[in-house]
Amino acid sequence: MGILENKARARLFYKYLSQVYDKINPFIWNEEMRTEAIGMLDIQADDRILDVGCGTGFATEGLLGHENVDEVWGLDQSPHQLEKAFAKFGRTGPVHFNMGDAERLPFATDSFDIIWSSGSIEYWPNPVRALREFRRVVKPGGQILVVGPNYPKTTIMQKVADAIMLFYDEAEADRMFNEAGLEDVRHRLMGPSYDPDVAITTVARVPGGEDEVASTPAEEPEPDMAGDRGAGSDNVEPDEEPEPDMAGDRGAGSDNVEPDEATD
Amino acid sequence: MKESMMDILCCPMDKADLELEVDHEDEDEIVSGTLTCTECGEAYPIEEGVPNMLPPDMRDDVPA
Repeated sequence: MGILENKARARLFYKYLSQVYDKINPFIWNEEMRTEAIGMLDIQADDRILDVGCGTGFATEGLLGHENVDEVWGLDQSPHQLEKAFAKFGRTGPVHFNMGDAERLPFATDSFDIIWSSGSIEYWPNPVRALREFRRVVKPGGQILVVGPNYPKTTIMQKVADAIMLFYDEAEADRMFNEAGLEDVRHRLMGPSYDPDVAITTVARVPGGEDEVASTPAEEPEPDMAGDRGAGSDNVEPDEEPEPDMAGDRGAGSDNVEPDEATD
Repeated sequence: MKESMMDILCCPMDKADLELEVDHEDEDEIVSGTLTCTECGEAYPIEEGVPNMLPPDMRDDVPA
């Protein structure tokens, strides 16, 4: 397990990192990448948007720049990161701030049209559980976008990555999002010119909603697949399953195969 | 926080409704107060306009 995949450690880490975070952050996640990621979302006027792990408010600021966005809900576990965001937007105003946990959101079911989360997934001890919580909180047909660190291709960087936090590739993102019961999962690798695939952005939809009903016959020619989708919740393992091991497996293993996950 | 936030805020533990107790209000913003879960009784403070909805095990005053 990476040293930051423990919330208490992540909190402590950010207590100090928040001092310089916005200075070092542009090297891995800059305004161009932010704009490209926002472009992957279909944002309608009056959509209610939650930024999970809003931190210092870098992505929140980008979202507020969208023509259809007047206000954003922001949630973060770190009061030290949030202080920076408060300085940008005020404690009250266009951003509705909450301190909270990504895996245990303090929001009612079907509250949001869109959840955005950038630079947060690498600290979640159990990403699938957090994604399931996102699915609960987002309305049927709503969208979920997650930006995380792409798994490095060189062995040395892989070792560094495994030691520090959760990194994942497209196949792993597919697995996590599908296991969380999300649909229409799409990925895009992003990064600055000198490191063009340093980040992975994934967009998915919560099953249900009018759009899907309308497009089902045309877009899902394989009956078997549609059947699996329909019974999506059956594929989802109960919360009691020891999924936290997943990150640990990645840390110890050298490939994507996770034997103890192949239960169904 | 605006009182309208109550429409979607819930207890992070059991997702039950919360009861709002306002200590201090400034125009239409709730500056300080307490959100108490109607199911488990857990209390979440509103501090300087921001609700602290961290589960009890993640709060700073609890040893990690």
